[in-house]
Amino acid sequence: MDGRNLYSRRFFLKTAGFFSALAAIPSSVKSLYYDARRLIIPAKQKSKLNLIINKTSHKLEVDTRTTLLDLLREDLHLTGTKKGCDHGQCGACTVHINGERQLSCLTLAVTLPGKEVTTIEGLANGEELHPMQAAFIECDGFQCGYCTPGQIMSAIGCVNEGHTGSVAEIKEFMSGNLCRCGAYNGIVESIQKVAHETVHI
Amino acid sequence: MSVVKGRVEGIAKVTGAGKYAAEHRLDNMCHAVFAGSTVTAGTIESIYLENARQVAGVIEIVTHLNKLTVPGLADDAKIKESRFGLPLFHTDKIYFRNQPIAMVIAETLEDATYAASLIEATYKETPAKVDFAKEHPRVPLQSAGKERGTLSAWENAPFIVDEEYNIPAEIHNPMEMHATIAHWLAADKLLLYDKNQGVVNVQRTYARLYNIPQENIEVNSEFVGGGFGSGLRVWCNSLGAIMAAQQVKRPVKLVLTRPQMFSLTGYRPAAWQKVKIGANKEGKFTGILHQGKNASSVYEEFRDGITGITRMVYNFDNLKTEQSIVPLNLGTPTWMRGPGEVTGAFALECAVDEMSYQLKMDPVELRLKNIALDKDPENGRPYSTNFLDEGIRKGADMINWKERQQQPGALTEGDWKIGYGMAVGMWGAGRGTASAGIEMGKDGIITIKTAMTDIGTGTGTAMQNMTHTFTGMPVSNIKVALGHSTLPAAGSQGGSTGLSSISGAVAAVCKALKEKLAAYAGLKDADITLSDKGITGNGKFISYAELWQNNNLTAIQVEASSSPGEERKQYAFCVSTAHFVKVRVNIKTGKVKLERIVCVADGGTIVNEKPAANQISGGIVGGIGMALMEEQLADTVQGNLIGNDLAGYHFAVNADAPVIEVAFINKPDPHVNPSGAKGLGEVGIIGFAPAVANAIYNATGKRLRDLPITPDKILS
Amino acid sequence: MKPFTFSKSDKISKALSGKNDTVHFLAGGTNMVDLMKKNLASPDALIDVTSVLSDKIERQDNGIRIGAVVRNSTLGKHELILSKFPLIAKSVLAGASPQIRNMASTAGNLLQRTRCPYFYDTSTPCNKRKPGTGCSAWNGNQRMSAIVGYNEQCVAVHPSDLCVALVALDATVNVMDKKLKPVRIPFDMFHRLPGNTPELDNNLPANAIITSIDIPDNSFHRHYAYVKLRDRDSYAFALVSVAAALQIEDGRIKAARLASGGVAHKPWRWHQAEQFLVGKEATTANFSAAADLVSKEVAPLAGNAFKKVMLRGAVETALQNCLTA
Repeated sequence: MDGRNLYSRRFFLKTAGFFSALAAIPSSVKSLYYDARRLIIPAKQKSKLNLIINKTSHKLEVDTRTTLLDLLREDLHLTGTKKGCDHGQCGACTVHINGERQLSCLTLAVTLPGKEVTTIEGLANGEELHPMQAAFIECDGFQCGYCTPGQIMSAIGCVNEGHTGSVAEIKEFMSGNLCRCGAYNGIVESIQKVAHETVHI
Repeated sequence: MSVVKGRVEGIAKVTGAGKYAAEHRLDNMCHAVFAGSTVTAGTIESIYLENARQVAGVIEIVTHLNKLTVPGLADDAKIKESRFGLPLFHTDKIYFRNQPIAMVIAETLEDATYAASLIEATYKETPAKVDFAKEHPRVPLQSAGKERGTLSAWENAPFIVDEEYNIPAEIHNPMEMHATIAHWLAADKLLLYDKNQGVVNVQRTYARLYNIPQENIEVNSEFVGGGFGSGLRVWCNSLGAIMAAQQVKRPVKLVLTRPQMFSLTGYRPAAWQKVKIGANKEGKFTGILHQGKNASSVYEEFRDGITGITRMVYNFDNLKTEQSIVPLNLGTPTWMRGPGEVTGAFALECAVDEMSYQLKMDPVELRLKNIALDKDPENGRPYSTNFLDEGIRKGADMINWKERQQQPGALTEGDWKIGYGMAVGMWGAGRGTASAGIEMGKDGIITIKTAMTDIGTGTGTAMQNMTHTFTGMPVSNIKVALGHSTLPAAGSQGGSTGLSSISGAVAAVCKALKEKLAAYAGLKDADITLSDKGITGNGKFISYAELWQNNNLTAIQVEASSSPGEERKQYAFCVSTAHFVKVRVNIKTGKVKLERIVCVADGGTIVNEKPAANQISGGIVGGIGMALMEEQLADTVQGNLIGNDLAGYHFAVNADAPVIEVAFINKPDPHVNPSGAKGLGEVGIIGFAPAVANAIYNATGKRLRDLPITPDKILS
Repeated sequence: MKPFTFSKSDKISKALSGKNDTVHFLAGGTNMVDLMKKNLASPDALIDVTSVLSDKIERQDNGIRIGAVVRNSTLGKHELILSKFPLIAKSVLAGASPQIRNMASTAGNLLQRTRCPYFYDTSTPCNKRKPGTGCSAWNGNQRMSAIVGYNEQCVAVHPSDLCVALVALDATVNVMDKKLKPVRIPFDMFHRLPGNTPELDNNLPANAIITSIDIPDNSFHRHYAYVKLRDRDSYAFALVSVAAALQIEDGRIKAARLASGGVAHKPWRWHQAEQFLVGKEATTANFSAAADLVSKEVAPLAGNAFKKVMLRGAVETALQNCLTA
């Protein structure tokens, strides 16, 4: 232990009567109490927002830190959008923002006013499934189903972007959606089926 | 909803309507987040919570100093007796990096996460062991199973392969992170929404830990976002939620972060193996020595059944297997898809391939010459069915095996070397006790029920199909309810036993239903058939409306259970795969491209072809990861896991896999259970990694015995 | 994540006047939000600048100008890029995933921070994250570490693919500083080597903003390649990547560009090999010799010796692929 620390400890013990009870505790503990930064914890910031999700307008007051993913799952109970990593590494949280596939876990809700969000819950037309949803059922493009909403939202993007020219192209443009069950055969087949039957979805 | 043919839960999954554990809504729910240790081994000296406490929305912070003691973890003896594993907040000891040292309970996830990041602690550090390669040579081997014949009988065999093989730790990483919502309804009544592979196991575990009746714990796990074995144990995430809910007297949701999934919910342990095989000039195996060591934690012993596969696939008159475990400062490992067998098959099937080159014999021929088809070499019981030979022949045909050159490195296209490889997988087809129930209304709609979970294997769909087969009722009239502890009890869904176990129960309950309906119809002892309108028996049709009216019925409830029986003493049971791979290897960049993958699987009767093929190709996708990329290392200086997230830990993306070609033998196993079907969850991955390694050898002449085979190893 | 205030700027002058060390700009958010979640960035305030910066790719007298908030996916499909600067599209499509490319901005791509696992693990020392604490990778896992331009302070690499193409094509970064003065920074000078300040990734002046990227016209649209080697086929950061571009006339190389990602703290140009190739015939032998020159420039660490061999193969493959592109 160097001189500074010795001094600190003495100083600490002398001046902080309250801490004298700590005398029996090893020095490293005391140094933590002495060194630990008593931080100034900033207050939570909230923002009033008007968001359009699945063609429905929502008037909300959200924590500036809240991501679209947590807003959907925790506040709006639209739990079809999944959290698989929370850091843009798996694609399970894929939604459409202004019609394009994007990651809701890396999108702060406060950035969304003026944009339109579509989630898996917004795809079906009443009882009528979206063709991609139907294809995923028919081609068995899932097992556990957890990555499935993200896969489907991404698959629709893949078709709309025109990346269905070959199996290899579909696979490359669907590689932002991890599936640990390994249902890639069925996912590719679903996309081929929809791409074959549709021009724009 | 539009009529689409597919899984029974398909619509719930593609619309996002199915609720996974963390997605249930409870009034007044708050959030819990773990803060982890920043050292790898030692003792907590102090925890500084002042900053975290200042965060608005924080309700409580739980540490080992203020937790409400869980009765079953009250002291060291009880902790040991509980076999729970990590005594969460019931110790000041640190066994591994990122072990939870505190838990923040707050109003919102943002508040809890932020506060958890502000917690600091001091530790008395002790030296940590995380380097498996360095530690395992110090641990002696012990016998693992009965020795057959002697080692000396074959030490002078003309052909000997004697090599070492290594696999690193692999992480299950189901896409859904382990999550629990816990709610104490009364002092002795608990409601859980939990991600797991067996609700009864969860009930039992907490009934023991909290000293409350099992039936007082309700566990809902209707939708489970993948398990791969990580949900077969009850881990500290659910205990954390339960403790938190008790502490704040509110429902609490706790979802692990992805990095926490790498430490707190098990993994496939790193393993070292040595395999020595002898063969005579005709290519008949004369003996084998298989040794294996796997990593475990310092607070629990987990033994992976590494050498099991060597005792079952081939005829070895002389056989010795040895194993041991190597304690490290990591979380406890656990069963992961094809546990033990996957690890063992890598060494065994690579060694067999190496032998084929020594013998200058086609590896297909070598295997056909040596596989044990008639009886299980371990216990001498005849296999009920074993079509591995047929699978091998069919697979070779499908991939056009005759294009393969015996001479490694013979097929070249520019910078690409082309090679073919094969290997086999096998798994004992187990069966457990399970119950199922049927509820029927006068509208002719029946619901088939069990507590068993469906983690994505298609259990529910198989139950629906079997119910149709056993009763004749159209599938559209059959609903399925599962994954809930209030439903008829069943074991956990693991080890590929789910389908086999539940099929017996479904058969039994269908029989019970038919008997009951026949009795109501006055057709005692008649074998009746159900339709959507009514029953037919002895040439007579009676509508459900009539039946209900005549007997003054509301709803019919039947329940039955089934267990394996005498057939287990008479026969051995297995499922198998024959894997074939065509690879392209770039000799300049080290890139490996899997051009074709063919697998022929024997799982008895195939109840539902698409989900069954999905199981096999899914296992193979896992095998691609194992063969080429999956590896979780710890920093050998500091003990932290390196890159413990989905960007750092690579498993196969869509682009890594070709369209996988799966075929089935599809012949019933007449003795295993009433459906003749056997589980396929494990066997798809078993033997796949060695098929890749063998193909890479055939392409390049490079024998790579350490997984994963990353580009640097190709270039080395 | 630490609480912060959020505002959306409608004027670049306003955005810049509000900027200081504890206030960060936000565009696509794909890196910034991640860093904030990991407590690697803890701003007091975020200013959304997506409305004040250009999202256009425009023709200029001697090249093109790419607005700061042109998204990565636009770079991958824009007609002007595909016809005149296809190497840009090729490199950007090798990075991240379609969803991330739909969000990520061009400027943000330049400013993304390293993916060194120790930088992300706050329980370990890291000079880039916390200057003076030491470099964990120096004695640790070096699979993703640098093989050139590093020192014992930091062995992290810059993770971008796009930047490899931009440095190869002699781009310029247009910046507006806090006092609204435009500054032009040659791309090669934009990112830094660790030196004694590994916490700094680049030479963007304090509190300045990137407004656009210029790429001068070139004749590399026929013969170009981007080879990225990684631990899986897609959605992974590079172990080693190579951008190659050749201008070939009558079988001879008139101009050559070679750059790499995954090898250094900044996107790295291979000037020696470029000079060697100029005037030579586009043959396998010459490509191989150029690859040798590249591999002579690197000094791998104990834990990533393979990168030297891999880089050599990647350079050769990229040059070869230029002929078939």
